[in-house]
Amino acid sequence: MTSTAAPPSTRRRRPRRALAPYAFLAPFLIPFVLFTLVPVGYAFWQSLHKTERVGGTFGSTRPVFAGFEQYADVVREPFFADSVIRVGLFALVQIPVMLLFALALALLLDSAVARLKRFFRLVYFVPYGIPGVVAALMWAFLYDPRLSPVVDLFRSAGVQVDLLGSDAILFSIGNVVTWTYTGYNMLILYAALQAVPSDIGEAARVDGAGNWTIALRIKLPLIRPALVLTGVFSIIGTFQLFTEPQVFRSISTSVTSTYTPNLAAYSLASGDNYSEAAALSVLLAAVTFLLSFAFLHFTSRRQG
Amino acid sequence: MAMRAHTSPMARRCMIGAAVVALTAATGCGGGDSGDDAAADASCKPSSGKVTLQYWSWVPGMQEAVDLWNGQNPDVQVKLKTTPAGNAGTYQNMSNALKADKAPDLGQIEYDSLASFRLKGGLRDIAQCPGVSEAQEKFVDWTRSQVDFGAGGEDGIWAVPQDTGPMAMFYRKDVFDKLGIEAPTTWEEYAAAAREVKQDGKYITHFSQTDPNWFTGLLWQNQATMFERDGDAWKVTVDRPESRQVADYWQKLIDDELVATDLQGFSPALYKAWNSGEVVTWVSAAWGYSTIRDNAKSTEGKWAVAPMPQWDAGDQRAGNWGGSTTAVLSGTEHPAEAAEFALWLNTDPEALEILNREGGLYPAAKAGLDLPALKQPVDFYGKQKIFDVFAQASADVDTDFTWGPTMTDTYRFLSDGTAGAVGGEGTLGDVLKQTQSQSVDSLRKQSLDVAD
Repeated sequence: MTSTAAPPSTRRRRPRRALAPYAFLAPFLIPFVLFTLVPVGYAFWQSLHKTERVGGTFGSTRPVFAGFEQYADVVREPFFADSVIRVGLFALVQIPVMLLFALALALLLDSAVARLKRFFRLVYFVPYGIPGVVAALMWAFLYDPRLSPVVDLFRSAGVQVDLLGSDAILFSIGNVVTWTYTGYNMLILYAALQAVPSDIGEAARVDGAGNWTIALRIKLPLIRPALVLTGVFSIIGTFQLFTEPQVFRSISTSVTSTYTPNLAAYSLASGDNYSEAAALSVLLAAVTFLLSFAFLHFTSRRQG
Repeated sequence: MAMRAHTSPMARRCMIGAAVVALTAATGCGGGDSGDDAAADASCKPSSGKVTLQYWSWVPGMQEAVDLWNGQNPDVQVKLKTTPAGNAGTYQNMSNALKADKAPDLGQIEYDSLASFRLKGGLRDIAQCPGVSEAQEKFVDWTRSQVDFGAGGEDGIWAVPQDTGPMAMFYRKDVFDKLGIEAPTTWEEYAAAAREVKQDGKYITHFSQTDPNWFTGLLWQNQATMFERDGDAWKVTVDRPESRQVADYWQKLIDDELVATDLQGFSPALYKAWNSGEVVTWVSAAWGYSTIRDNAKSTEGKWAVAPMPQWDAGDQRAGNWGGSTTAVLSGTEHPAEAAEFALWLNTDPEALEILNREGGLYPAAKAGLDLPALKQPVDFYGKQKIFDVFAQASADVDTDFTWGPTMTDTYRFLSDGTAGAVGGEGTLGDVLKQTQSQSVDSLRKQSLDVAD
């Protein structure tokens, strides 16, 4: 069969054309199904089961269906509300601060007066390239009262600071997260700014707009979708907070094994309580989804 | 009175099952003392032909011992996979591999995790394997009760002891001499020394929130076992007078600011404090000698080792911190050969010498305590024969200490609680109380019976 043969009827062609998009999607869809949908599905299945033991203390076990029992257990755990509220508060403070920084840096880089743009773009982005554990360890050294040159400086100035105490620890973690992800968000916003046609800015300038006005009145509204995107990414990231608190657990008396929901799920799983860990993970996914969705809904309504 | 959770419906189902299959023994509901894992073929016959065994371990230098065996036993070849330490991911991998039927024949498992692996059906009973029960007397007494779960072999033998961590007190002899105090022999004297040392601007020791197994070693010394088996049920005894005594003692030291609470175990900050002489003792395990030697180099010749301080003057009790076994895992097709290798690895003088020299292991085999390397004076400790102290400690470790099957959780609760107490929330006594009830919950969540 050759392509130059009499064109087959459109009715016959349609199914073949319908396959094409899936072929293009396959490189995404297959890993997505294998490594996202299937694990989530398995976690959901696990969360509906519990362990039943047959034959005494060291007998064998098998999973039995338990409905939403694990969910009820998780929600009743005192750490559940604590950890969710904690990351919620964290998100309320840290995300706006980080996105403001990112936006300011992106606008600066995009402004006409900026010099050495490439250099600074790279510098701002470098923290994101450092593995999270390494970054957290590095900051741990800077926070540790016995090792930190920063704390030493404060002390020699007569100021007593406890960066790891219960009052400060959430801010200390927020600082690490901000340091890591500002550059990443800045890059997304900067890319959006680059896509803004330059004639709009020129037209505004002709109309007498200054740099501030152009930045706030012209550029900002145009990159709104990118801002929303970084907001959603940040919400998802915050509710999955894990590495920094896990590393700080070993230096701060304020971080427990259930400090964030993700840390709690990890702790439950390492204690062989997979069902409850699965229930917590599914709940966490649902909460994250809801919040991201609400955020999207809220921001798009205001736009419209 | 025994309180049972989640069992009545299950027991009923078992009874019905047993009635239906009346004559078959393998209902998995009978006897109950060890259930299905014992129902599996317990006989242990040697395989014929060439055998290859997979072995997971994280002891440095293990390959050298394995090579020695492989050279001597062409028919039983061992393939070693060097893994991260157990709690650093290997236990997780082992559990997953057991589930997927891809587990190695042999694995390194620490004493405190044996029960949890047996609970998962991950261990093979090797009591019937050639040479195993005869070899039991070659090991230090308390390690035997660890691998037979305190039942003297009646309830199977589930692993071969490898190394131990009998505890003693490392102390800065020069500092004690300068202050004119003797090495404390009781905890009361230790607290008195702590006050004198504090006057001199130093801390007697650090109290870490990240070493719950260290604290457990202190409980062990005071015969405060945390779990007991009561027939088919588990009894949680974390909060008991003996453990309260230990907790209250350390709480007082914390309250009086005599111990450094902002130094975590094995941290750069601790090593800095050792080097600067700010922290002057460490009650620790035999393997700790290399931790100090390698991380507090500037204090060479200034440390000495004395037995653990006692609760009652004149007693000789020691705790244990750490130590591993070589376990034959349940999926193996060659239990006899696997057990033979495990026995050789942990009793053969040449193998013991390699593991001590390369891996720093303090042997569980009695013969290992006579290794030439463990009879030598150690330069770093002012030419003291420090291992004599640990050999005595090893004999003084209480044999009745039982680990629960959910130690990962119990350690976590202890660690979280300790962090709180050190940070000013509650006391170590409260921590014991919470850990007690949280551990009961953990057992129930594994659908185990809890007795009270």
